[in-house]
Amino acid sequence: MLRQKYFYLAWFGLHFLLIITFSCRDTLGLIAQGPTIFPPSFKRFSQKAETAVSAAVGQRLAASNPVRQALATYLHIAGIEAGYGYFAPNVPGSYKLVFELRYPDGRMEYELPRVSSAAAGLRLAGLLDQIGRSRYNALREHLVKIVAQSIWSEHPEVKTIRAVFGSIRLPSVSEFEQGKRESYQFLYGYDFSLREEPVIPERR
Amino acid sequence: MQPLGKRLFEFLFPAESDNWLGVLRLGLGLQVTLYSLSLRNDWNYLLAGTGQGLISRDLAEALLSVESHFIPRLGWLVALGAHVGLREETILSVGWICLFGAGCSLLLGLFCRVSAILAWFLHLCAAKSGGFVSYGVDNFMTIALFYLMLSPLPDRYSLDWRLRKSRSKDPQLLGFWRRVLQLHLCLIYFFSGLTKCLGSGWWDGSNVWRALIRPPFGVIDPEILVRWKYVFPIAGVFICLLETAYPLFIWSRSTRKIWLICICAMHAGIGLAMGMYLFALIMIILNLAAFGPGLIPAGSSLSRYRRTETAIG
Repeated sequence: MLRQKYFYLAWFGLHFLLIITFSCRDTLGLIAQGPTIFPPSFKRFSQKAETAVSAAVGQRLAASNPVRQALATYLHIAGIEAGYGYFAPNVPGSYKLVFELRYPDGRMEYELPRVSSAAAGLRLAGLLDQIGRSRYNALREHLVKIVAQSIWSEHPEVKTIRAVFGSIRLPSVSEFEQGKRESYQFLYGYDFSLREEPVIPERR
Repeated sequence: MQPLGKRLFEFLFPAESDNWLGVLRLGLGLQVTLYSLSLRNDWNYLLAGTGQGLISRDLAEALLSVESHFIPRLGWLVALGAHVGLREETILSVGWICLFGAGCSLLLGLFCRVSAILAWFLHLCAAKSGGFVSYGVDNFMTIALFYLMLSPLPDRYSLDWRLRKSRSKDPQLLGFWRRVLQLHLCLIYFFSGLTKCLGSGWWDGSNVWRALIRPPFGVIDPEILVRWKYVFPIAGVFICLLETAYPLFIWSRSTRKIWLICICAMHAGIGLAMGMYLFALIMIILNLAAFGPGLIPAGSSLSRYRRTETAIG
């Protein structure tokens, strides 16, 4: 039993070391991205510290490195691959994706990506957040294109689709009291046609 | 053994009853069942491959492969099904049925270990393959199912215990897994609270307002919410303190009850006011399993556990 206990103790040490390390890394990442209550000078320190912590847990190794792959597998199967900064340091705004469907007869319709339950609706909002926060233009464009394809499969007669991606600006309490409501701000526009013509992204 | 080492062992391996495990199993059974039911109509649409659903499962899995090829995913099951001539749609539907079945089985306590492993695996596959449509609830369900799967099942409230005469093992092992859950929760709340404290919006209450009106969480009409504007700064500071100080006050017997009630009330409030019912449920289950049974004097529940074990055994 004692040997078994030592085994459990070793696992416990490693498991919690990983939880603490990844939580610290994500916390430092939030400070580095800002804005936080810390002065801006903290940003550079946090960036450096985040890099150092990431390197310490093998996150700077090559993606094909077996140690990194084994670690990533364990982190994902245990659900400890990310920190716990939900709605932190501040609650971000949300995003909206609108599709403008253009028919061969010149008719135009507007469509939103839709799911059938509220639980799936939360997931859809998460998807839009991921598209909006993506740092890679190509990935963002590809994701919008895939969602556009799902709309196309429901409206096969459509000639072209224009996807308009925007952010929702939430009013503060005082703005709301003055009659201001949430507003929509255009971020990106993409035109898709059925013949797989090159996508022409349009930025604000 | 050194006194410090001995104290560490005593802390990590306390003799515990399986009350907490019963709460965790029942709670997760309910959670997995409700999770499956809530996604019943959208399951295939959210998790289908390229060109079949809302977002490509293939893309999420390709990105997952950059991290590791060994992280479970639905693509494995779809590929396996393709070998025997089954369509992707059929495999996804079978996956949903199995997950729902595992949830019901956990709820009843039948084939506890197999059900826990199946629920963990299928949920993990869905969460990872649907990475673009995953959110916090999936993260916490993975954590909870991972610990449940490794814990010494079955508990005495399960059908396995009554019908199949399966017995869980050492009370110290039960204590160890409960400690793991307790300590993990402390870290979750500490870091969650700490990162919130970094944002000025939690101190002036604007983040509470924003969280409540932000689509798609806007369950309560902002016209009603704005009447409570003076409560937002208090609520913001309260949430920060409740979460950051959780590791301090949840251990003391004198403050545990009030902290547990407050944290569960906070999650219930989030669930009702923001429509995040599954997120609220998983957090309440984790808290009740980790710290709930401690509110009953430990000695009596452990001795009752040993009596039950002797009577049935």
